[in-house]
Amino acid sequence: MKKNYFKENKIEYIDYKDVGTLKKFLTPHARIQSKKRSGVPSVNQRELAVAIKRARYMGLLPYVSR
Amino acid sequence: MQVYELGYLILPSIPEDGLSGVVEKIKGIIGKGGGQELDSESPVRQDLAYTMGKTIGASRYVVNDAYIGWVKFEAEPDATAAIKEGVEKVDEVLRLLIIKAPRKTSFTFAQARQKVEAKNETVTEGAPEEAAAVIE
Repeated sequence: MKKNYFKENKIEYIDYKDVGTLKKFLTPHARIQSKKRSGVPSVNQRELAVAIKRARYMGLLPYVSR
Repeated sequence: MQVYELGYLILPSIPEDGLSGVVEKIKGIIGKGGGQELDSESPVRQDLAYTMGKTIGASRYVVNDAYIGWVKFEAEPDATAAIKEGVEKVDEVLRLLIIKAPRKTSFTFAQARQKVEAKNETVTEGAPEEAAAVIE
């Protein structure tokens, strides 16, 4: 059974500034988790990907991490 | 009219008391471009995930932390290009990002910090009890 993190936590808008939430969806190498791993519906996964990319641009999340 | 959010990074070399002046400058540019301010959060200092640089004139600044803040405003879609150009010309601004945003503010840095602090408190409260249990 797939869990929708955003529905469970009543997050309607995925904000790029919300680093705490976004970090849950990164792999140890700071890559975006696949939809298969994150278990998030397609719509949210797309919004999530955009938010993570915005956070990276603003220096809130890393592009790469060892 | 469309609601936008302007996120910005300010160079850490600016003193704390000079920040409000920079924020006023940014808000002034938004107002001049025909934007109407809805909400904002004053900049807070934060470590960056990677090193950034900005060249002003002949000097180059390489920074590992910056002040981050945002302004939410309502404007005509044509006005954003002028606002972006205007804010980019402000020397103190390291980086900026204009995005479409919902009218309702669901996240602020102050709230996030409170949440983290509350979590830390519950952890430290829990620890002594466990230690006491071990002694018994």
